[in-house]
Amino acid sequence: MSSEPIERRVSYIGDCLRACRCGICGKEYFEIRDYCGDCGRKSLGKMRNITLFYDKGKLELCTLINEPTNKFRKLGSYIYGIVSFHNGKIKIPGRITDQILKKDEIVDFSKLEGREVIPRFRRRYSVGPSEVIPTISLAFTLADEYYPYQEYKIIAPSKEYKLPGIVGYGVYTSRFRIKENRIERAVPFIDEDSITAAVEAGKFALIHSAIDSASIGKVYVGSESNPYSVKPIASKVAQVLRLGEEVEDMQAVDAVDTEFACKAASSMFKDAASLVNYPESGIQYAMVIGADNSQAAPRGCPGGELDAFVGFGGAAYIFGKADVIAEIEGWYSVTSDTPDFWRRDGQPFPLHGGRFTGDPAYFKHVKKATTKLMEKFNLKPEDIDYFVTHQPNPSFPVKVARQLGFKEDQYSISLQVNKFGNTYSGCSLIGLAAVLDVAQSDNRILVTSYGSGAGSDSYLLRTTNQIVEKRKRQKINIKSQTENPFIEFVDYTTYRRLKLGM
Amino acid sequence: MQNNPAIVSVGRTKFGEHYGKKPEKLIEEAWLVASNECHLERKNLEACYLSDCFLPITNKLGLEEGFLSELTQLHVPMEVTSSVSAALLAACNAIKAGTYDTVLVGGIEKMTDRWDKIRDDLMLLEDPWSYYAGCTPEANHELMLRAYMNKYGITGDNIEKLNLALAKVAVKNHAHALKNKFAQFHRRITIEQVLSARKNARKPLGLYDFAPISDGASALILTSSSLAKKMTDHPIYVLGGSSATDFLTFPSREDLAGFSATRNAMRKALKMANLSPLDIQLAEVYDQSTVMELISLEDLGFCEKGTAWTCIRGSCEDYDGYYEVHGKKIFVNMNGGLKADGNPIGATGGAQIFEVFKQLRNEADERQVILNENPPKFGCIQELEGFGTKAYITILGDK
Repeated sequence: MSSEPIERRVSYIGDCLRACRCGICGKEYFEIRDYCGDCGRKSLGKMRNITLFYDKGKLELCTLINEPTNKFRKLGSYIYGIVSFHNGKIKIPGRITDQILKKDEIVDFSKLEGREVIPRFRRRYSVGPSEVIPTISLAFTLADEYYPYQEYKIIAPSKEYKLPGIVGYGVYTSRFRIKENRIERAVPFIDEDSITAAVEAGKFALIHSAIDSASIGKVYVGSESNPYSVKPIASKVAQVLRLGEEVEDMQAVDAVDTEFACKAASSMFKDAASLVNYPESGIQYAMVIGADNSQAAPRGCPGGELDAFVGFGGAAYIFGKADVIAEIEGWYSVTSDTPDFWRRDGQPFPLHGGRFTGDPAYFKHVKKATTKLMEKFNLKPEDIDYFVTHQPNPSFPVKVARQLGFKEDQYSISLQVNKFGNTYSGCSLIGLAAVLDVAQSDNRILVTSYGSGAGSDSYLLRTTNQIVEKRKRQKINIKSQTENPFIEFVDYTTYRRLKLGM
Repeated sequence: MQNNPAIVSVGRTKFGEHYGKKPEKLIEEAWLVASNECHLERKNLEACYLSDCFLPITNKLGLEEGFLSELTQLHVPMEVTSSVSAALLAACNAIKAGTYDTVLVGGIEKMTDRWDKIRDDLMLLEDPWSYYAGCTPEANHELMLRAYMNKYGITGDNIEKLNLALAKVAVKNHAHALKNKFAQFHRRITIEQVLSARKNARKPLGLYDFAPISDGASALILTSSSLAKKMTDHPIYVLGGSSATDFLTFPSREDLAGFSATRNAMRKALKMANLSPLDIQLAEVYDQSTVMELISLEDLGFCEKGTAWTCIRGSCEDYDGYYEVHGKKIFVNMNGGLKADGNPIGATGGAQIFEVFKQLRNEADERQVILNENPPKFGCIQELEGFGTKAYITILGDK
């Protein structure tokens, strides 16, 4: 059995790589220390805590591990080595992740040593199904491969907006894909899950918004594939990304998980926007994350039809009133108790209501929320620049968009299900990100999510002139993640194995 | 000085897998040999200094002292450390202080009882962060080799020469073990085998570069020098003994191409013995891997830094594999080293002491080193705990 106190201590340090720097001599240490080994007692109270999670390191030395210790067996072969930070001031052990080494692949270590690497928040190793899931950021990817290094630089906001809106966003998915019938879908690496994707997406959103993580007052994480039935993803996100002020070893932030099938996250946009707009809340920014390692039974089993469309990934949005890139003008929600898709507690995979998932469920709710919102603002389809909706498969979003009167150039940019698969709670958020990646100032975006069970939230957004300027801060966007030369395609067996995880 | 510690007898078991024997039986075997040899009566034993590293894990045995008390029916003070060298150092201090005159020093380990988990257990000797990042018991040895190559600019043809020298270390140690009836392996290996094991593993080091998992026990009787002559004609004296420590976290150490703990301990031990490194003719070094043997030759001061791999001479596949430094021969790991003699961690140091004791007394049979028609006069033992986190140096002499 895992030891809860040990898990707490290890993940507190290891998840965001806490370290410290002596205020007198500048010497740095991994982990938190009360005094410097060189300066002794006079450094008491002068040690400054730092984290390495947003930094880049250098792979100093490495070797191949092909016979790991027992808990690492599912990783197969991997590269392990020593990573230095801050010009060698700190040296820590690390594993290179996101690599599927071939059975007889010869690794030239000298070609890896000296390269820059970036910490990735991942599962640490395998444990039993009842145990606490161990995590760590001593996993690294090469900075010159799928995920380039992006500096997290805090920039003071320049303008306050009347309406609350999106101040930054980030999309995270893995570098692995499965390609079948011209559809590409994202496949997690074996050490990834909805928790790790949520954290990474949140990190990208912070980098894009350039706000201080301490100024976030609330974080919502929507997911339907949380590996825990009871234990929030949001608390992990808050701790790793250090959201809110640090109060001893806690974060002064409210964190909560939400669930409503695929609209668990998009539903909270209005809550986040309202919260930052409420003067008495004292909350400057709120973060909404939708992330899923979308579940589906294997083909041939009940529910296995979903296996052709499920993806992996997530997106995070930060809401506030300063330096807004897209103001939220309004919304309209509809809900009904429609059992079109469900997963009972303890069951590994969801089931759906076959032909009922389309007409009485998806189309009905998406259309109603969208038309009602347009009525409310007295808008016609041609008044909208971009239309985004939930994408459970490639045909539904196109069909509903056409039925609503939208033309291809209004909805096609948002269609990402062919590239990432259905990322469940992340799906309409990723579609919106694809639009925000290319939108210009003063564009109107209509985004309508859908969650089985069932309901839809339709939002009307209007971009500001800050959207173009802020775009330069985000190198890891939809384009970079769909056209990345380091994407690796895997076969069906590997896809199922990776998706099952450690 | 009257209270200088002296070893009067040594005993050990064969190293390897002892499927049918409990740990107690192994230490009994070693202790009976040692006490028989110097005709020691149990009642004259004043204390025991023991070592084991994994018995609480492998055999759920937390108090080795208790079962030794039952075995010997003695109620004398007993202390447990993690290595025989540590036990010997503590015992020597007690003899020097005049606390005791006659003590038992012994070590025991039973690693094959937990075959499926022992590699995980071995990670207890390294820092948790390395384990959490996916380290294995072998990985740091390979990283040290990479660090060594980078630090000393070993490139091009020299990489092949270094790899060959490392292979020769394993071949030499297996050749030595052929003459050691207690050794785990009595099997000649070839350079080709070592190289092809590395190739199959696609790694800098392969199966034949590493010491095995072993069971075994070792024991010795330590007395004050005034008493030693009464118990044996040829006591062997502990001329110097010292230890040093280094960071548990290998990545955060300053020098990744060597063990500073070995260097510090050796410096102090040589000073105690009033010797220089080149006075040492015989060394038992802690070759958990071939890299460790080569690098330890530098840390012990026999070879200059970055040069040990050029020093292996003679036919390593035959008996005379030795190192030649400044025209002088140094015989290393005549018992086969950890590689071929075996490495039951808590007992390993006892086998190293056993070998130097026998060599200095000219009792090493076929393995006997003869220099200018005489057996060696000084020998040194290097034992490490963890991956160089602790180093113990013991210098033995026949005078």
